[in-house]
Formats: sequence, structure tokens, C-alpha cells
Amino acid sequence: MGADGFQGVWGFLAPQADEATALLCDPSPAVPRQPADAAKMRARLVSMASPLAFRQRYPIVLSAVFCWILAGPGAAADAPRIVSLNPSLTSILVAIGAASSLVGVDDYSAGQIAEVADLPRVGGLFSPSLEAVVSLRPDWVVLVPSAEQRDFQNRLGELGIPVVSFENLHFDEVLANIERLGALVGRSPQAGERIEAIRRTRRVARRLTRGRDEPGVLLILQRDPLYVVGRGNFIEEMLTGLGGRNLAGGFEGAYPRVAVEWVVEQRPDVLIDLSPGVEDPLAHWSRWPSIPAVASGRVVAISAEWVSMPGPYLDRAIETLAGSLYGEEVAARIRSERLR
Amino acid sequence: MKHLTPARFAYTLGLLTLLLLAVACFGLVTGPSSLTLADAWSALLGAEAGSPAVDIVRGIRLPRILLASLVGASLATSGVLFQALLRNPLADPFILGVSGGAALGAIAVLSLGGVVGLGYGAVPPAAFAGSLVAILLLYVVAGRGSRVSATGLLLTGVVFNAFASAAIIFLASLSDMLEGSRIFIWLIGNLSASRMDVIPWLVVFLAAGLCAAFFSARGLNVLALGEEAAEQLGIETERFKRVLLLASSLMVGAAVSVSGLVGFVGLIIPHGLRLWIGPDHRLLLPAAALGGASFLVVCDTVARSLLAGRELPVGAITALVGGPLFLFLLRRSQQRLLSDGGSP
Repeated sequence: MGADGFQGVWGFLAPQADEATALLCDPSPAVPRQPADAAKMRARLVSMASPLAFRQRYPIVLSAVFCWILAGPGAAADAPRIVSLNPSLTSILVAIGAASSLVGVDDYSAGQIAEVADLPRVGGLFSPSLEAVVSLRPDWVVLVPSAEQRDFQNRLGELGIPVVSFENLHFDEVLANIERLGALVGRSPQAGERIEAIRRTRRVARRLTRGRDEPGVLLILQRDPLYVVGRGNFIEEMLTGLGGRNLAGGFEGAYPRVAVEWVVEQRPDVLIDLSPGVEDPLAHWSRWPSIPAVASGRVVAISAEWVSMPGPYLDRAIETLAGSLYGEEVAARIRSERLR
Repeated sequence: MKHLTPARFAYTLGLLTLLLLAVACFGLVTGPSSLTLADAWSALLGAEAGSPAVDIVRGIRLPRILLASLVGASLATSGVLFQALLRNPLADPFILGVSGGAALGAIAVLSLGGVVGLGYGAVPPAAFAGSLVAILLLYVVAGRGSRVSATGLLLTGVVFNAFASAAIIFLASLSDMLEGSRIFIWLIGNLSASRMDVIPWLVVFLAAGLCAAFFSARGLNVLALGEEAAEQLGIETERFKRVLLLASSLMVGAAVSVSGLVGFVGLIIPHGLRLWIGPDHRLLLPAAALGGASFLVVCDTVARSLLAGRELPVGAITALVGGPLFLFLLRRSQQRLLSDGGSP
């Protein structure tokens, strides 16, 4: 396996760049189909669930479908049943007030987002359980088509379960995802507010950080093995929007693996450490005192969920990044303007 | 067997020490960053701290070379011990599942240790315990009686390896994504996390194991004649074997806990050296330690320099060299079995 192949680990952030281009022609509709064929799908599910032979269970299926047509769609019309297989999508749904639409989530969503911690879990990012998803009778399954989940998407499709896939490698894709999820659950106004808040913060931050010293920055995703934020992803886009120079922008991949030696050689002015770890990041990086960020005390640890989640709070992420580049004062000014 | 004279002893070990020093120097001046030879030398010898060259050469490459040589020495020496104790040229901590046992112990602590309040410090003892369990299993299942069956030994190793990797995958799938990726990289074997503070621990473990091994070199030579002969010559074989198995699990456990699963070092180094200097353990054991150290330093230098800025796991490099060689040795030993009329 090449060093790049391991980017699958960052599947919750984004699929790999080549996948992104391949999926530009993804046939899944931007505005998803309404659950018109939900009854057909449910009939199929019932037929799968029953151990009886098809002929014997045919009347049961019919009556079950009938009951559903009477009782089901009424409820489904205002609150579609959604299973989310990605924490960033789960987080968006929760943020626009659609937590009640969620009927199941992946393990990472449940672990990271308190509002969905008690929902049924359908497995990890790499190992979602088809059966668990099917048994939740979702109207929609939402996912990010990483290498691992693309096959899963196909399997769900074969079973007639509607899947909506969302790219989240780039900043604009994340904003589009908020909009699409808002439309999916009928909460477009709330989604629009969130998008506007993010756009406003980006404008404010750009204005307040213009003309500063353009520090050379490295964003560490994980220390051991060492992964950094490379080229062409929403984190880099936020960083360059704030005037920071991404020193790992020369790598091909979005999240390349690098050597420690390389980090030292780049002489970053600011080192932003997003990795979860027991060890204090300043203590870790100060083993190499020649790094300018170490010498000037500009090693900043940020909890990964604040910045590297392509979710609904990119405004907060921009503010946090601005704080680590230019100090808390700038972050506070952005905050006061964005909350105004 | 060539007679071992003090001159030959000094000559061989001197040559291997020079080789180790040479590859260490090569490792110090080689790497993905664009340091010139002169930069690297002045960084190593000069005192001006605070330059990137100093950080790279002294802070990154030096600990890594030290670690690679200690791990390589541990693995090669324990390879010699296994081959002598089990009287089988195919014995190797990696193939026999001893490394797998150590890895299982270490990963159990890494993934579940947080639950019971065990930190990173518990990893080496856990790796040691894991390798000990694997060795005991080998000893009980395949090592009984005066003769050790090669098939039984390899089968036990293969089965235990399969069990250990299944258990590791189980643990990895329970742990979160980042921990899972760490476990994965660790399983291939890599030295990229090398840190100065683990080196003293490794030195202690290795020194204990090496001392036990070197002092028993004469006994190992006698053991090569067969256990009955060894008993007649006054060696308490069972106790002798137990002490050495403990010593080798110490070394394997320590090596695995810092480098993951680096395979085949314990196989190809002893074999290569036996072809050169003969099977006398008084010379073979220290020579294997030095040779294993040099080999792993070279492999690790390749691993970190081959793709600029990126890291390859060193275990992949050693396995690429060692795998084919193992098959070659296996085939040769089977041919010998056949020509001997089937007696092991």
C-alpha cells in the first residue's frame, strides 16, 4: 500500500482527490428524489425480512404495505427517516435542527456528537453494517463516498434504499452540503442561515487579516504516523483565505504523510497541531528547537473537531485558525463581528 | 568447523563493528532533506544548536539510527538463540509468532489500556508478556522431547501468528480511526516514532538478553550435539533452555514494543553469518548482534530516504528482502530432508 492509500483514514474529512474528480459526474441527484417509491422499497424490505416463501407471504406483504401506505407516509412526509454514515453530515443535520430526522448514525457520529449518542449505531466508517442500516427502514442514507463507503453505497442501491452522497473535500462543497441537507429535511431557511453565518465570517476574517505577515504554516493532522494538511482541501482553503501560506501545499495529496525531518526543514512560522494525543504538543515539537514556531512559541494545539470537521461550524473553524495565526485578539474581533 | 582463535574472533568482530560504524555514518548523512554531506558532518560534530541541520541530524536521524541498531541486534541475536535452542535453521521470532505475540500484547495495551488506566509505559512489559506466552506455547506444543519437529514448529508458529493477527484486527476494529491507523502502520514495522527516551529501556532489555546469550554460547555449541549429549556433558538442558527462551523473549518484546513487527532480521542475518564465519556461537552471537544492527540501519535509511519527504515502513523493506530468502532456505532444507531419507 502506498503512503497515499492510507488517506482512507481521513475518509471522514474527504475522499481522495482522484475520487473527487471521478465523482463530479456522480449520478446521484443534487436535489434528491422524494420518497415516492418508498412503499415499493418497504415492500421489498418486508419481503427480505420474512423467512417465509414468497408465495406464502405475499398476502402478508400486501397487507403490510397497505398499513404503511395508510400510516407511514404521513409521518415520513414532514420528518424523513435518515441514516447518516458520516460525522460531518450528522453534525450538519443536528446544527440545522434536524436531529429528530436521524434514526441511525455511524459509530464516529455517535462518539463525537452528543445529540445523537443514544441513536442506534450502524458501524464504523469502514465497516457499516448493511443489515443494521436496512433494519432502520431509512428514507435516505446520507454518506460521503470515500473508497470504503462507495461499495456500501452500491449495495444499498441494489436493495432499493435511496442514498444521497456528499463530497466534502472543498470549502464550497461543505457549504453546498449544508444547503442540500437543508432541502432534504425541509429546513432550508435554517441551512441558509448557517451558510450565511459562515460566509459572513469568511468575509470578516479576510478583511481583518489582510496585509498581515503571511506566516508559513503547517497543520499536523496526526503525529505518529505523521500526516499533514496538503493541497486542495477545505482546511487549506480556510488557511489561505486568512493569509497563511500552507508549506505542505506542494504535495499532491490532500492529506499527505510526511517525515519529521521534512517538517523541521520547512521551518514553519506557525505549527498547528490538530492531532489527538496525550502529550503536550509544545513539549513534543520543542524537541526540535530550530523550528521557528517552537522558538517563537507559535505551536498551537486545536482540538481536531474544531477545524478538521467539514461540518456546519466552519465559521468557528475560521475564527479558531485566525486566532492561532495572529493571536487571540484577532479571533475575538472576528467573533464579535460575526456574532453581531 | 573452523577453529576459533582470538585473532579470528577479534578480526571478525572488528570488521563488523567497522561496518556498523560505516552504515551509521551513511545513515546520518542520508535522508529526505537536502542537507549536504558537509552540513550533516558539521551538525553532528559542531556545537551550534538551533539550526535545522542540528535538529535533523542529532534530533531525528541519530535516535533513529541508535534505535534501528538496537532493534536489529535484538532480533538477530534472538534469531540465533531460537535456531540453536530449537535446532532448526528456520526458527525466527517473526515466523514462529513470537513477534506476533509481542505485538498482540502491545496492541492490547494501546487499544484497551486506556480503559483500565494503563499508559504508553505499559507497552514494553505487555509486549514482553506476549512474546513470553508465544514462546511457552511453542515450547509446550512443538519443543517437547529430545527432537524438535520442523513441521510441528512451523505449524505452531503459523497458527499462533494467525491467531495473533486475528486478535489484533479484532482490537483494531474496536479502536477509533486514528488508533486504528496507528496500529496498522505499527504492524508493518516502522521506526519513525523513534525517540531518545525509549532507548535506555531498550538498552537494558537488550543488555540483559545479550549477556544471557553470550554467557551460554558454549552451552549452545554443546546443545547442537543433541540434548542427550549435552546432558552427559553436564548441562541441565531444561533449565538452560528456559533461561535462554526468557532472554530471547526479553529482547523480542523490547524490540517489538518500539518498532512493531519488523520481520526476517532474525532469519537472514544468522544464516548469512553462518555461511561466512561458521556455526560457533561464541563468535556467531556477537557477530549476529552487530550484523543485525547494520542490516536494520541500512534498511531504515532506505525506508526514510527512498521517497523524498515520505516514509516507508522499514518492516516492508526487511520483508521484501527476507521473504524470498526464507523460501529459498525452506526449499533447501526440504531437499536436504529428502536426501537424508526423511529424518529431520
